[in-house]
Amino acid sequence: MNWIQTLVDAIGLGSVYALVAIGLALIFGVMRLVNFAHGELITAAGYTLVVAHALPVPVAIALAVLVAVVLAWLMERVAFRRLRNAQPATTLVATFAVAFALEAVWLIAFGARGESADLLSSLNEPAIQTGGVTIRWVTIAMLGVGGILLGATTLLLNRTKIGLQMRAAAADFRAARLLGVRADAVISAAFVISGVMAAAVAILLTAQQPLVTPTFGLEITILALVGIVVGGMDRLTTATMGGFAIGFLNSLLGNLLPSSERVYLPSAVFLIVIIVLLVRPVGLFAPRGASTAERL
Amino acid sequence: MKSAMTRTAVALAVLVGALGLAACGGGSSSTTGSNTGSETSETSGGGGETASNKGPIKIGAAIDETNLMKFFDGPALAAAEIEAEKINKEGGVDGRKIEFTVENTQLEPAKTKSVAENEVNGGAEIMWVTCDVDWATPSIQVGLKAGLLTVSPCIGTDQMGPKRFGSEGELAFSYGNVAQDEGAALAALFKKHGWKTVDIVPDQSIAFTQNVCESFKNRFEENGGKVVVEEKFTEGDGTIGSVANHVNSSPADAILICATTQNDLPTFVSGVRSAGNQTPIVGPWSIDGSFWLPKSPKISNNIWVTTYASIYGDDPNPEVRELISEMDKKGAEPATGGFVTGASAIDGIKAAVEENEGSTEGKALAESMVNFKDLPTISGEISFSPELHTVFGREYRVIEIKDGKPHYVEMVKAGTPAEL
Repeated sequence: MNWIQTLVDAIGLGSVYALVAIGLALIFGVMRLVNFAHGELITAAGYTLVVAHALPVPVAIALAVLVAVVLAWLMERVAFRRLRNAQPATTLVATFAVAFALEAVWLIAFGARGESADLLSSLNEPAIQTGGVTIRWVTIAMLGVGGILLGATTLLLNRTKIGLQMRAAAADFRAARLLGVRADAVISAAFVISGVMAAAVAILLTAQQPLVTPTFGLEITILALVGIVVGGMDRLTTATMGGFAIGFLNSLLGNLLPSSERVYLPSAVFLIVIIVLLVRPVGLFAPRGASTAERL
Repeated sequence: MKSAMTRTAVALAVLVGALGLAACGGGSSSTTGSNTGSETSETSGGGGETASNKGPIKIGAAIDETNLMKFFDGPALAAAEIEAEKINKEGGVDGRKIEFTVENTQLEPAKTKSVAENEVNGGAEIMWVTCDVDWATPSIQVGLKAGLLTVSPCIGTDQMGPKRFGSEGELAFSYGNVAQDEGAALAALFKKHGWKTVDIVPDQSIAFTQNVCESFKNRFEENGGKVVVEEKFTEGDGTIGSVANHVNSSPADAILICATTQNDLPTFVSGVRSAGNQTPIVGPWSIDGSFWLPKSPKISNNIWVTTYASIYGDDPNPEVRELISEMDKKGAEPATGGFVTGASAIDGIKAAVEENEGSTEGKALAESMVNFKDLPTISGEISFSPELHTVFGREYRVIEIKDGKPHYVEMVKAGTPAEL
């Protein structure tokens, strides 16, 4: 086994999940909502790339971002706004409902077999290829985009007025409103940002995984969600690190397990997840003494 | 309190998500199992009709018209219906017309069972089931319990028969090529092209892909070939990128990937070709079709597939080209060459019914079918045996995808099925 390639592969997969985790963690931090339907934003952007394949690449990318953003805004406006004061279990079920409804839409519109959207396939080419080690541009792009999005979101939440308003609305929606925060607008803004992040995931992911299917975004979202719980879902950085960790672990174990035993990979990953949650229930990367009440 | 409730909700989400992921990763089927219909409820029906009945031969189809299998089931059924119409116009089978009733299983086990029961209760004399043995099992069990000849157009494992369904399974047949035969045909293709070393990449999520790679390996090594790298993966497990990188550093003459046309196949092809590796990538029928191909001609290049028929307008058999044209007219354009198995299943049913002078009695038809040796059908000559109720001996079309465009190249034949 080539250990350097193994680590490169693990970093590559980790960066995919980290990107997904940022969008999930943002909505969880602001609304305390585990948005299962986030994966559908990724799928929507992916199908937009399929449909816009003949257009110039920048136009196709812009359309993918636009579609994901509009869909994210609609999700919040139509489905989640009315449930803002509902029990967490109720809102969770609502996100399932939205996710499955949209999946049915993709199934009807595009069919089950998938469509190819390798708009940026050149990103999958090697940036470095030496001594049996291949580092692809897409891995570098994912790490770069992930870092930029994480940094920008952290700055937005901590250093801008709208970020402060988002956090205020998240802490106490009614009090924030009484203090003049346009809470509906700032929460919509958070969804819009999560739409941008979902589009970024779709654009980079299709460079590596060109086939877009109705479950394109769902599968990756589920594992990323596991990652943010493991990392520490109450903070954007720990959640993102958790997303990275779950992808890294999955790839690393996939390489360590003998090829014939790779069928047990999900069991091995989830066994480690359970152990981590038992030992560090507040999250693997949460600061010592952190309580679950803290946010972002 | 709110925080605790949130945690509870998140834990619930993760649990449900994990279950969902398991379902997604599991794909269409498990790889083992041996049920013989103990859960099947009693249904009316009497194992087909006798020769004195000159009414239509009723085939009850319990197939997927909604989900993943619809791309296999739909074209196979359309081809079967066209072949049946042709036979009906010529006077039917021993004077009896062939008539289909079709119900959608939606690939849900409970619905599959109830749909099959509806078909039996509605007077079906032959049960027609979906192209995956695991998804089809509830309907197969109903058909077998009712004593009906139970036919799938394109199941590709040896599970469709006594191996999985015990003695009742003697009534179960598939007109797909059995994996042992396709593996041997692939080995013959390698021999023909002088590919002496290979990297093997089997998907472990379904039995067919495992079996075809295993059979290939056995025959390839018997032929003196050498396996350089064997990298197993399970569709959706996130390891396909690493698998592509491992294969890229191998000096083998060709790569055999036994997968299905889900996300991991194009990811693998893209991972190999994007790294500048132009080694031939070869696969069985399960990777046939052009819909999954990455659009870049540099990536979708030097890919070889064995299949039943060429859907690209250049099939060597004019009857097959005519069938495709008729399917196009009906709006049932095939996505893979597997459609032709539906028509050949009708040819097989016709031969068996004629041998039994118009009777559709399940046991009698099965006894005829199991003895088919090189029976001519629209898809070529087919054979069954008491051990293999899934076709062997058929010639395969070899499709090459060159610069993004698939085209027919040549025929290849297994000789004999390989060991599994």
